Amino acid sequence: MKASMFAGMGYSQRATFPSTWPVSPVHADPETSVQSYREGMEECELAEDMGFDWLSFSEHHYSGRIATGTPAVAAAAVAERCKNIKIALLGHLLPLNNPVRVAEELALLDNLSNGRVVAGFLRGTPNEDQVYTMNPAEGRGRLLESMDLILKALTEPEPFSWEGRYYQYRTVAVWPRVVQQPLPQVVVGTRSDDTVRYAAEHRLGLGVSFLPVEETAKITDKYHAWCAEAGWTPGPDDIVYRGSLYLAETDELANEWYQGLMASRPGPNIPLRRTVAEAIQAARVGNVFDLRGVVAGSPEGDVVGNSLGINFLGGPDTVAKQIKEFHDRCGVGVIDMPFQQNKVDHKAVLKEIELFGKEVIPQLREFK
Amino acid sequence: MPFQEKRVKADGFSIRYWEAGQGRPVVMLDPTGWQDTPLHQALAEKYRVFALELPGTGDSPANTVSGSIAELAGTVAKAAASLTSERYTLIGSSFGASVALWQTLLVPEVVEALILVSPKAIRPQQVPAAATAADGHRMQFAHEENAQKQSPLSQDVYDKESDLAQRLGIGVHDSEAESKLGDIHCPTLAVFGQEDHFVTPEAPRVYREKISNCNIALVYDAGHCILGDRSDALVNAVVDYAEHWETFIIGHQSGLINP
Repeated sequence: MKASMFAGMGYSQRATFPSTWPVSPVHADPETSVQSYREGMEECELAEDMGFDWLSFSEHHYSGRIATGTPAVAAAAVAERCKNIKIALLGHLLPLNNPVRVAEELALLDNLSNGRVVAGFLRGTPNEDQVYTMNPAEGRGRLLESMDLILKALTEPEPFSWEGRYYQYRTVAVWPRVVQQPLPQVVVGTRSDDTVRYAAEHRLGLGVSFLPVEETAKITDKYHAWCAEAGWTPGPDDIVYRGSLYLAETDELANEWYQGLMASRPGPNIPLRRTVAEAIQAARVGNVFDLRGVVAGSPEGDVVGNSLGINFLGGPDTVAKQIKEFHDRCGVGVIDMPFQQNKVDHKAVLKEIELFGKEVIPQLREFK
Repeated sequence: MPFQEKRVKADGFSIRYWEAGQGRPVVMLDPTGWQDTPLHQALAEKYRVFALELPGTGDSPANTVSGSIAELAGTVAKAAASLTSERYTLIGSSFGASVALWQTLLVPEVVEALILVSPKAIRPQQVPAAATAADGHRMQFAHEENAQKQSPLSQDVYDKESDLAQRLGIGVHDSEAESKLGDIHCPTLAVFGQEDHFVTPEAPRVYREKISNCNIALVYDAGHCILGDRSDALVNAVVDYAEHWETFIIGHQSGLINP
């Protein structure tokens, strides 16, 4: 089994942010921001040194908690520092982006890294529908069409025009061609049946995030079945699970940290004003949202969102066992983890990465 | 715009055609008999359109005379020459695209621009032959619901057209046509449905590689019958190309939101 570090490149003072989304840029001090990215790079370098297989980057906007709105830029910088590890873009939020531009970024990055790119296709969390002002009702259609177009753009050696529902490009001719022929590994990050089926039918990998093991298994079981229907069996790297982690030397120390975190009553990870959250959800399924049916909240604090629990918590042996469940039950072959948890500073992140490399990765290697 | 049904004689055939519109001539070769589609209507708004029923298709008698696609194309070229003395834009779909390809090779001096919609002369897939008209109809579409919106051919017409296609080698790789693609110098557009299972995914690039002035258009979420799956997209691409030829790649839509 392989290990991937989710390089969030978070702003070092992220624990001080107000519980809102977006986080106002006024909270970003340039000097601290530059230092934060340097620290993020150091964490990536250490992860490579400690035997991690992948570094992953994810597109998230308007918040310093995960500060990679343009993940290919961060990935390119890291690819220059880390010479051997896979560079996984997990991934671009396709409905927000020009798909041809995404293909160009992936192709260029595959060249700059000499064939180390893993591509990930995502729809994005509901708040991100607001970035670049996309109609949430069109998100799924844009995602499906984008995937087709990007795959075509990365593999077609002759120029073509694309007559889509959401995209029309009269000339597509992506330069450079990808180093990994015919296509770098692609992971579709999803929980939805239609995109799980898409991944299976197109022989692409599957990424699942943050769900408990049994919920994840429901998705991976479908994926396996649909892959079989499509006439292939996913390889060990084809199922990626992203889960949050806090690793300490012992279970007791890890639990102590967690209790402390809970006592501080952390806000939701993606806090949205209730009216906005409900309006986006309604729009995603094509419903009309009546703002006046919702009691407006106070200017501050009236937010909703998921406060994600920790998927993997404990000392090295405990965490390894927790990961093994996903391997054994769901067929997960790559585990992708953000080490930059709330109230975990840079030094502590480095310590965790080192501990994971020394004590957990050797155990993962035995999961076959 | 109403189309008028007329007839023209060529090589002993009495060929039905439908005519509408004014302007530069456009000759359309459809895969089966007459269908008044949004593409015909959109073209007739700007051009003088002649839509020909290929001998042996639609309601025409069985064609046991034409010995090859090239021979059939020669017949159609003669018919077109009787309809207009001007150079024309030639648009062929599916079966009609195979004929249009050969027509362009035979009379390059009169074909001003060539548009091939779902051509299957080059690198066709080995699709199992459909036994019935209904099965054959379903295979043309990316989506079942689109197939249901249109009536399949009658079994008699389907059998007649299948016999002709089989005899002329439609649906089998035309290596002679492929070897001559470099002789086509007029502006050419080849349009494919992204879900067209009648040709290999590599087929479009052959046209692009071998025809000196060729654009490829891929229509997302469309099968072999692009008109049935994504009518607006096909009309948009074909009408733009007929108007602008290779310069159809230049965007003219305004991005201005609040002037």
